[in-house]
Amino acid sequence: MAAGTEVAPVEAPFARPRTLLFGTALATGAAVMFFGALFSLYFSVRNDTLAWGAEWFPEGSIELKPGGSLMSTFAMAAVTMAWAHYSSIHDDRIHGYIALGLTALLGIAAINQTVFYFNDIGLPIDHSVATTLFYVIVGAHMVMTGIAVLWIGLVLLRAFGGQATGRHQDLVISVSIFWYAVVAVYAVIWLFIYIAK
Amino acid sequence: MTDTPLETDDATALERAVTSTDANTLGRYWLGAGSLTLLVSLVAGVLVALERLDLGGAEVFGSADEIFQFWSAHRVGLVLLSIVPILVGLGTAVAPLQVGSDSIAFPRMAAFSFWTWLIGAGTTVTGFLIDGGLGTPGAGSQRQAVALTLVGLLMVIGGLLGATVSLLTTIVCGRVTGLTLARIPLFSWTLLVAGTFWLLTLPVLAANAVLAYVDLRGRTAVRFGAEDAIWEQLSWAFSHPQVYAFALPLVGIAFDIVPVSVRSRLATHDVVMVLTGMLGVVGFGAYAQSFFDTPGTPVMNEAIYVVDAFAAALVALALFGGLADTLRRGAANLGPGADNRPPAPMVLSVLAMLLLLAATIVGALRAVDPFDLLATSATGAQMTLTMGAAFVGAMAGTLWWGDRIVGRSTSQGLGLLAGLVAVVGVLLVGVADLLSGFMGQNDFTGASVVAAGSPDSGVDSLNLVALVGSVLLLVGAVGWIANGIRRLTGATASPDPWGGHTLEWAADPSTVEVTSDRPLLDLLETDTLETSGAAS
Repeated sequence: MAAGTEVAPVEAPFARPRTLLFGTALATGAAVMFFGALFSLYFSVRNDTLAWGAEWFPEGSIELKPGGSLMSTFAMAAVTMAWAHYSSIHDDRIHGYIALGLTALLGIAAINQTVFYFNDIGLPIDHSVATTLFYVIVGAHMVMTGIAVLWIGLVLLRAFGGQATGRHQDLVISVSIFWYAVVAVYAVIWLFIYIAK
Repeated sequence: MTDTPLETDDATALERAVTSTDANTLGRYWLGAGSLTLLVSLVAGVLVALERLDLGGAEVFGSADEIFQFWSAHRVGLVLLSIVPILVGLGTAVAPLQVGSDSIAFPRMAAFSFWTWLIGAGTTVTGFLIDGGLGTPGAGSQRQAVALTLVGLLMVIGGLLGATVSLLTTIVCGRVTGLTLARIPLFSWTLLVAGTFWLLTLPVLAANAVLAYVDLRGRTAVRFGAEDAIWEQLSWAFSHPQVYAFALPLVGIAFDIVPVSVRSRLATHDVVMVLTGMLGVVGFGAYAQSFFDTPGTPVMNEAIYVVDAFAAALVALALFGGLADTLRRGAANLGPGADNRPPAPMVLSVLAMLLLLAATIVGALRAVDPFDLLATSATGAQMTLTMGAAFVGAMAGTLWWGDRIVGRSTSQGLGLLAGLVAVVGVLLVGVADLLSGFMGQNDFTGASVVAAGSPDSGVDSLNLVALVGSVLLLVGAVGWIANGIRRLTGATASPDPWGGHTLEWAADPSTVEVTSDRPLLDLLETDTLETSGAAS
C-alpha cells in the first residue's frame, strides 16, 4: 500500500442475533417431538399387538416400492437443499434459486406420491389400529412437507428480493434445518413403517 | 417496541387492538383472556364439587357423562386455558424487559399465537358446552362436539407453542450485552426452562389429540377416538408430573420478588438455576400415559414414576430452603422498626412456594404403592395444589410487575386479601381431596357410590370442605381480577416502586452495564460506596 494512503478503520462485523435460527430450531424440535410421540405410540401399540399374536398390517398391504420411491425423492431433496445452502454461502444467486426451486418441486412431488399412494393402497383407515396409526403418521408428515414447501417458497421470494446472501444466510439455514427434519422423519417412517412394518 | 403500520396510522381502536404486536399489549391480552377462562374453569370446578356432596346420584348434572364433561373441562380449563396462558402473558410482558430487549422476537407470530389460542379456547369451551368435551365414560356425548373440542384443544396447543417459541427466542437472542444466560433474572430463566419442556411435551399432547380426532371423525373409532378412551390418553397432561412443568415459572417469580423485598442479594442464584432445571426434568410427563404401560405393570407403578415423584418433592424442598435462607438473611430489613413491611407480592410468592412444596409431597405420597392413591381424589388434590400454587404465584407476579406493565398502581391490600383467600381455598381443596383419597374416593366420582369407589362415610364432610375451598378459590380469583381492572384506572405508578435489582426496572436497560445477575443492585452499591468514600 502506498505510503500516505488513508485507510478507513475496519470495524468489527456486527454480530447478528441469530433469532430466526434459534426460533426455527425450537419449532423444529417441537415438530420432531410430535412425530416422536406418534412413533412411540406406534412402536408401543405394535409391540403389544404382536405380543398377543395378532396381525399388525394385513399381509402384503404395505409395499416397499412407494416408500422407497418417496425416500429417493426426499434424499434428492436433501441434496438440493445442501446445494442451496452452499450457493447461499458463495453468493451464487442463480444456483441458489435453482436449488431452492428444485427442493420445493421435489417436496411437491413427495406430496403427490403420498396422495397417490393413499388412493392406491386400498386399505381403509378404520381397518385396524395399525392402519389408523399409518395414515396419521404418513398424513402428518405430508402436512409437515407442505409447510416446508411453503416456507421454501417464501425464502425463494425473499432470495429474489436479495435478502438471502452470503452475509445473511439465516434464511436458507433456517429453512434447511426444518427441511432436514422433514427428511429425517421420513427416513424413520421408511425404515420402521414401510420396511420393518 | 415494534409497531405494525396500523399502530401508527389512523387505524381504529379495534384495528389497533387486533393487529398489535407490542409485547406489553400482548402480555395484557394473555392475562385478560386467561383470567376470564380461569373464572369459567373455576365455576366448572365449583359445580363438580357441589355435585360431589351427594355421591349417590347426579343432582346438579343430568348424568355421569355430564359430570365427567364438567370435571374434565375444569382440569383442561385450569391448566391450558388459564394458568399457562396467564404465565405466558406475564412472561410476554416482563421477560423482554428483564433481558433488555426492545420487543418480543417474532412479534407477528406472537400476536398470531395469542389469537389462535383465544379462538381455540373459545372453541374448546363451546365444545364442552354443547355436549362434547374429551369423551365420556359412557360414550354419551355428541361425537361432532367431541371433535370440535379436540380441534379447539389443538388450536390452544398451537397458540401456546407459538407464544413459547417467541418468548424463548426473546430470552436467548434478545439479551443485552453482558447479560449471559447465567445472569438472566430467575423469572426469565424459569420461563426458559419451563418453555423448553412445554415445547417438548405439548406436541406429544397434540399427537394424542390428532390421533383421537382422526379416529373419531366419520367412522366407528378403532381405539384412539373411542369416547371412553380419549381422556385416558390426554389426562397425563393434567396430573403429576407434567403439572410441575406448567407451574415452574412460579419459582422464578418468587426468587425475583423475595430478595428485592428483603433488601438482600440472592446468594444461591446458580443453585436455583440448576434446581429449577431439575424440576423441569422431573416435570416431563409425556411418558406417563397408558400407551406406555408394560404388560401387567401400569406406567404409574414403574420405578421412574415413583422416583420422579420423590425427586420433585426433594427439589421443591431445596428450592424452598433457598427461599427461606434469603428470607432469613434479610429478616432484619423487614417488620417493625425496619420501616419495610413485607410487601403483598412477597407474602404471596412465599405462600405459592409452600403450596408447590405441599403439591410435590402429595405427589410423592400418591406414588407410594401401599397407599393405593393413584386413581383416587389425591390425583385431583395434587393437581389443584400445583396449579393453585402457580395461580398464587401469578397473583404475586401481577402485583409485583403490574405497575411496570400497566403504568398504574392498584391496591396491594386487596391483592393480598384475594391471594390469601385463594391460598386458603387451594389448601382446603388439596387437604380435603387428599384425605378423601385415603378414604377410597375415586378421582372421578361418577354418579353412584360404587362409581365413587364406595368411600368411607366421612368423605361427605370432606367433600363439603372441598366445596368451600373451591368457592374460596373462585372468590380469590374474582378479587384478583377486580384488582386488575381497578389498576386500569389507578393512579400513575412509580417506574420502580420496589427498588428492583434487575433490568426490567431500569429506565433504559441499554445504559446499564451488566456486571452480575443483579445489575441495578450493583449500581446502587457502587453509588453507595462512592458516596460513603466521598463522605469519609
